[in-house]
Amino acid sequence: MAAWFRKFRVPVGLGLAVLLLGLPRLAGNEYLLRIATMMAIYVVLASSLNLIIGFTGMYSLGHGAFYGIGAYASAILATSLGWPFWLTMPLAGIFTALVGAFLGLATLRLRQTFLVFGTLAFGEIVRIIIMNWPSLTRGPMGIPGIPSPVIFGFELSSSTHWYYLILVFAVLMVFVIQRLYHSRVGRAWVAIREDEVAASSMGVSVFGYKVLAFTLSCLIAGLCGAFYAHFVSFISADQFGMGESFLILTMVALGGTGSIIGPIIGAIILMAIPEAFRFLDEFRGVLYGAILIFVIVVKPEGLAGVKGLFAPASGAPRFPWLHRDKAGKEAGA
Amino acid sequence: MFLQQLINGLAQGSLFALIAISFSLVWGLLKMVNFALGEVYMLGAYAGWLVVMHVTPNLAVALAAGFVAGWAAGWLIEKVAFKAMRGVPHIASLVCTIGFSFFLKEMATWMFGAETKAMPSYYAKTAFTIAEANVSWLQLLMVGIAVTMMILLQVLFYRTRIGLATRAVALDFRTASLMGMKVDKITSLAFSLSGALAGFVGVLAAIYYNAVNPSMGFVAGLKGFTAAVFGGITSIPGAILGGYLLGGIENLSVQFVSSGYRDFVSYLILIIFLLFRPNGILGKKTKL
Repeated sequence: MAAWFRKFRVPVGLGLAVLLLGLPRLAGNEYLLRIATMMAIYVVLASSLNLIIGFTGMYSLGHGAFYGIGAYASAILATSLGWPFWLTMPLAGIFTALVGAFLGLATLRLRQTFLVFGTLAFGEIVRIIIMNWPSLTRGPMGIPGIPSPVIFGFELSSSTHWYYLILVFAVLMVFVIQRLYHSRVGRAWVAIREDEVAASSMGVSVFGYKVLAFTLSCLIAGLCGAFYAHFVSFISADQFGMGESFLILTMVALGGTGSIIGPIIGAIILMAIPEAFRFLDEFRGVLYGAILIFVIVVKPEGLAGVKGLFAPASGAPRFPWLHRDKAGKEAGA
Repeated sequence: MFLQQLINGLAQGSLFALIAISFSLVWGLLKMVNFALGEVYMLGAYAGWLVVMHVTPNLAVALAAGFVAGWAAGWLIEKVAFKAMRGVPHIASLVCTIGFSFFLKEMATWMFGAETKAMPSYYAKTAFTIAEANVSWLQLLMVGIAVTMMILLQVLFYRTRIGLATRAVALDFRTASLMGMKVDKITSLAFSLSGALAGFVGVLAAIYYNAVNPSMGFVAGLKGFTAAVFGGITSIPGAILGGYLLGGIENLSVQFVSSGYRDFVSYLILIIFLLFRPNGILGKKTKL
């Protein structure tokens, strides 16, 4: 697959570029473009969660909350203070990153299982604060009428404009994450994921790099949230609950942890399923849960992930009953 | 008012304590957490509700149904998320149970609908009154069940052969299996028992709140885990203590802060204890 891709990367890349750039023409309707826009938001969200899960090997169930913090920060700045989008979006990202850094500094020394519960509790705390602070967040009523952004005097009004904006954003973010992965920082993250003790004895500041990964991931999630808030123009606390965190986690787990392409594939598949199978409507959540169980049992690293975190501790076969002959012979010998 | 909140806190604390015991049963054996335990509790509540609505209004039968449903769910989760995943790092099992948690919740939503179902109340009459605070028979029953469960489990672990085997497996999985203990059976038993306990508590909770809905498991699971960490996840008396303290603190925070921030207080306790005292109040000093 990888070799094949390297050989044909120019035509494949060109074809992909034509497809992505020409989508508004090809799709021809607004609805499909809105789905494509949401897909791109989730591609970026899943890629950002992959920074934490796939690169550094920590599991967070609070990503939906960071997405929500970004959305609320940008929405509040835009509606109460009337600040423009090109200012509120970076500010929302920075604010989310600060919250993330704070949480990271506090919790990243925890062991994996406890980190999952810690981030989960944090996500719930964020939701409770949003619900109970009506003077700032309008509580359970949500924030309506978030203005469309105006960039250099040009108002984003149609779905096509939104689509191109998110396309630029998504490509930029995936590129940044890809460059990070192949940089000195990325190598330090992978070293931590593979073996913390070895990494720290090689002089990698384990805690520092963990906090860095967490902060960057929250920064990107916050930017996504800001984008989403202006895109749909109405946000409320229940859009950013546990279900959202779970969805993003499933995207990463399905597509593949630790690779660049994995979360992108996962996000596209999970966003396409409800559109392709309309009759599944009520059954969608069940399917997502089943997908996560199935993938993690059969192929823990996901469709296109790197083994890394899930390399078996011993050389024993995962499913002895699938290798009965071999195992039988070994036992007999 | 203050005393009434304290009594309600005690009753609610029994629920938290029983879920906390379910968490510490599995943690004590494998140093793993079954994330879907809250949903097993919800499943038990539905089983009890179905029995009460369609079979017999007998409380004991409903509790038994919750127990059996929880046992089955715990057994299944162990087979898929733990037995099939042996040799893969623990985190994969945890993620698998996160999948189970959503799967079960969505399944219940799909089968029974997202709306809250009413559960008839039992023993709701006031047993006695102290200083204008009412104590119902149900509340007494709940506290009684929690304490009985704790004693039964302590007896099971420290007075029986199977308990001895369980403690040996908890101490050293490999060596125990080399010594001829049926580690697979013991793990399976602990998981099923933990699930059964959660299912049983689910029925009790459904009766206490007169409500059953698919999302009841999420909060209950997180609160139960909080209680376990609070009291000390490694010990059963710790889990009980954590449950009662959490119940008390939550209900007093309703009294003194605001009812909107009731869950906030619990989750804050969870984070603070995870950070500064992950072994809990009674837990043994082990590296977590």
